[in-house]
Amino acid sequence: MNTAYNFAFFDEGSKREIRRATLKAIAIPGYQVPFASREMPIGRGWGTGGLQLTLSLIGKNDVLKVIDQGSDESVNAVNIKKLVSDTTGVETTEETHDATLIQSRHRIPEVPLTKDQILILQVPIPEPLRYYEPSESETKKLHAEKEYSGAWLMLFEQIMKYGSMTTGADHPVLVHERYVMAPSPIPRFDNPKMDESEALILLGAGREKKVYAVPPYTKVVSLDFEDFPFEPESFEDKECRLCGSTGVFLDELVDEATDETVYQCNDTSYCLEKLNAVGVK
Amino acid sequence: MKLDIVHDLQSVYRKIVDASARPGQLADLTKDACFVKEEGNHDCPASILLLALTLFDQEITFKVISEKEENITKTINQLTYAKPVETEDADYILILQDAEVGALNNAIEIAKPGTLKNPHSSATIIVEVSEVSDEPSLRLKGPGIQAIEFAHVETNEKWVESRQMKNIEYPLGIEMMFVDHQAQLLSLPRTTQITENRVIV
Ligand SMILES: [Zn+2]
Repeated sequence: MNTAYNFAFFDEGSKREIRRATLKAIAIPGYQVPFASREMPIGRGWGTGGLQLTLSLIGKNDVLKVIDQGSDESVNAVNIKKLVSDTTGVETTEETHDATLIQSRHRIPEVPLTKDQILILQVPIPEPLRYYEPSESETKKLHAEKEYSGAWLMLFEQIMKYGSMTTGADHPVLVHERYVMAPSPIPRFDNPKMDESEALILLGAGREKKVYAVPPYTKVVSLDFEDFPFEPESFEDKECRLCGSTGVFLDELVDEATDETVYQCNDTSYCLEKLNAVGVK
Repeated sequence: MKLDIVHDLQSVYRKIVDASARPGQLADLTKDACFVKEEGNHDCPASILLLALTLFDQEITFKVISEKEENITKTINQLTYAKPVETEDADYILILQDAEVGALNNAIEIAKPGTLKNPHSSATIIVEVSEVSDEPSLRLKGPGIQAIEFAHVETNEKWVESRQMKNIEYPLGIEMMFVDHQAQLLSLPRTTQITENRVIV
């Protein structure tokens, strides 16, 4: 542990500020609470909202897992883990069920989360209405008035244009029947995991200085139309070429030798776990 | 042992997060409140002071409602630099057990509920009571609760209805926390729906 830093990097004042914002976020599910985001010694582009949440939460007895687009071993995930463990001394893990805090970007793990875990999602653009309304004071007004026809229109236009809702990731959701919320760029496949989740989910946007929350057992509905119901990516009839899993989010790869399309778990720690469980290596 | 403002307050914060994310599940602050007590801060109940140390600083405002308002206000201001203000302007309203009956309802009524644009700019009322427990006198529903939770708050105040009135125009509303003499904390975010269980004899 590097004692030149404060525990968990931040001074206590910075922690208190984001902590107060987080408590309000939990009290108003899906509403974006502003906070005084701090500069962080981490590469731009990864975003620091999630990291700031993690640092404000973490204590000596926590076990931290960090995943970036399904991988525990990406440079970003490794750097974040290093910063947190260097300044706290906490244990890190790749096993989802061993973690008490899970910081993630672009995925919710395949292993169902429990009440003893907090999922922290990194958010690049917290405002789901930004796509059609550039002004912050206007989007605040739209949320205040629960005026979400623009969000529906946006989805409707996609259907007219492409014949389906083409939101690859970050498909907007309605939280607790009140706020339209950006679930962060997780695939649609992961949206249903937010609904009535056992774990508390916190979302943080560093550049935009917002935190928001989905408490456990809270209704989260992906926006859709009666004629065009919300559909997660489907991997029917497909399985992971490594562990054989079905019903998980798969990455599509091209086998260069045979030119065939093959599939593989996006959540690499889940895949490894499955492999170890059946004794294949 | 002395209160460790980094690690102990982190632990208190996480307990508040859990209690607020799962209304009805009480947070046990016994150990941390003990450290505060040993430091001898006289008039202010240890668990209330502990919450102030966890959440307060120069960026927030507070109001103490108690017979010992003056002393407690001074203590909290000196320890946290939070600014004392009138109830209707306060981010945090602390109501101690020696406050006169009706003080809680009055505070609920005038506490700031936020605005539609900024519903987070709203008060949190922290109330000292003799006991909170999971006795089934109150039925709780809402976010954070799988089916139903039960809670009991031992107080002479009739607060359930005025809280409901205050929170009726969701997302406007207030947060409430009840702390008892055993340092057990019940957190009730504005989203929690409460019905009083009538005991039929
Ligand atoms: Zn696999």
